[in-house]
Amino acid sequence: MSFRPRRALAVFWKDFLDLRKNRGLLGSMAVIPCVMVLVPTLMVWAYVRNPDDPSLRVMARYYEVSVQSADAARFLIDKSLTDWFGLFLIMPLFIPILISSSSVAGEKERRTLEPLLASPATSLEIVVGKSLAALLPAVLVSFAAFVLFCISVDVVAWKLVRGPLLPNGMWIFGVVVIAPLFAFLGNGVAILISARVGDSRLAQQLSGLVSLPILGMVGSQVAGVLRAGAGYYAIVGAVVLLLDLLLLRATIRLFDRERLISRWS
Amino acid sequence: MSGIRVEGLGKRFGTRVAVEGLSFEVAPGEVFGLLGPNGAGKTTTVRMLTGLLTPTWGDATVAGISSRHGGEDLRRKVGLLTEQPGLYDRLTGKENLLFFIKLNELDEDAAWARALGYLERFGLKGREDEPCGSWSKGMRQKLAIIRTLVHDPEVVIFDEPTSGLDPDSARTVRDCIAELASEKRTIVLCSHNLAEVERLCQRVAVVKGRLLALSAVRDLRRAGHALQIKVAGDAARFLPALAALPFSPKALVEGGLLRVLLSDEEQQPEVLRALIDAGARVYHATRIERPLEEVYLELVRA
Ligand SMILES: Nc1ncnc2c1ncn2[C@@H]1O[C@H](COP(=O)(O)OP(=O)(O)OP(=O)(O)O)[C@@H](O)[C@H]1O
Ligand SMILES: [Mg+2]
Repeated sequence: MSFRPRRALAVFWKDFLDLRKNRGLLGSMAVIPCVMVLVPTLMVWAYVRNPDDPSLRVMARYYEVSVQSADAARFLIDKSLTDWFGLFLIMPLFIPILISSSSVAGEKERRTLEPLLASPATSLEIVVGKSLAALLPAVLVSFAAFVLFCISVDVVAWKLVRGPLLPNGMWIFGVVVIAPLFAFLGNGVAILISARVGDSRLAQQLSGLVSLPILGMVGSQVAGVLRAGAGYYAIVGAVVLLLDLLLLRATIRLFDRERLISRWS
Repeated sequence: MSGIRVEGLGKRFGTRVAVEGLSFEVAPGEVFGLLGPNGAGKTTTVRMLTGLLTPTWGDATVAGISSRHGGEDLRRKVGLLTEQPGLYDRLTGKENLLFFIKLNELDEDAAWARALGYLERFGLKGREDEPCGSWSKGMRQKLAIIRTLVHDPEVVIFDEPTSGLDPDSARTVRDCIAELASEKRTIVLCSHNLAEVERLCQRVAVVKGRLLALSAVRDLRRAGHALQIKVAGDAARFLPALAALPFSPKALVEGGLLRVLLSDEEQQPEVLRALIDAGARVYHATRIERPLEEVYLELVRA
């Protein structure tokens, strides 16, 4: 099977154009980065507002016994920001799920898939074009949200920290390396699922289930069971990379014309 | 060689055999009709011809390429008008066409100029910058037809091209199909509109899970012709005399008109003699061909 980049780009062009005109989808996509920036800023603000509150020390000591009273607020801010990265990953994971479910299962729903499959484009070119159209917005939105997040957290934390808190090495590594890996995971899962179900909403809901392990992870961090940090996220990234490679293989194998045409009725 | 050659083609979905044992050939420049009732396997057949479905049995050679193994080379040479127009509603008419121009890696300016010609012909010019979601059913169907032709395909397969079109647009589409055939393209036309098939197609296949008939439209109609006879008085009196003939032909009565269905030309004199012997005053007798519809219904109801 040959691969012609021009045809993959044509699919990307069409899907990206379609996304730009899809107000509903853009709206639901915009909510995620807003939450991702606002919630941690509020958290940091809460710690900065009254850094000498004795209960902060109690909280900090729950996670780390050696914390001094004077450092409690700073410790909690650092910990929240490190833990928050786990939740931040939901964004690059979920945006491609929203886009790819509606672009693959949506083509079946609207009966546009058959003319597309009857065109010279190969399955691989279609998958690559559609994946690009889902990954690029996810990564760009994540980067943009990250920049906003750094600015707003630094502004709020300045009073206590007297210097820029973010970006730090862990976050840069996370946003540049791990977030795209998660985007790849969300996209792969959504394409695989929506190739097999004929309804974009069902595809979205089923694919959305992959975000549950992230919630579990972050929950365990907050409970103090897991301790997040650069090394920890690197391990998570490695596991996701492995999943990505498996998904890529499965997608190429399962995305064949006959199956796509036959499974829609 | 271009054209289409189908040999023992068949498809099974699970345990249901959608269609089997199809064999026919279509020459370049010919418009070939594919007729059959709902669920007869027409769409399944054209999907196999375009490589969208892999045949369970047999193979088809389309534009010199095996549809089983043809892949993109085959799809580049074939245009398929799918049963549903399948347009991207949020995209404009122009963007819909540009997408398929890009997918075929055509020179965009030249291909768009060609598409504009069709838009003008189908009365869509000036509407190409509107999103297709706001278009009427017929407009969408016409745009889908243009999309099918945008890469100048050698073989064009139309699955019910005039469904949803007003008589004027249907006429434009039929003229367009005839013109495509005159350019030596190979054309397959699935349709439920028998008058259209009669007008456009040289040969037809009637399918219903398998091949029921394959012949020139003219021969199909001739296969059972009728003799229309005008007699004095009520023609019903002579039905017993006709029934007594060794081949007991079917006959319809309308006042003084008798329509006798025959399978063989040699039966004509026998019918006339029987009527005259029974005392009929025969004014005139005309041989008429049966409309395709009658032949078709007889085939698919059997
Ligand atoms: N993907 C599929 N899976 C299972 N069965 C199918 C599939 N596609 C078609 N069939 C079955 O194959 C048979 C033929 O269907 P097909 O769509 O080819 O008929 P058709 O001649 O095009 O009918 P119509 O005139 O209604 O368009 C039907 O019984 C249909 O249910
Ligand atoms: Mg059909």
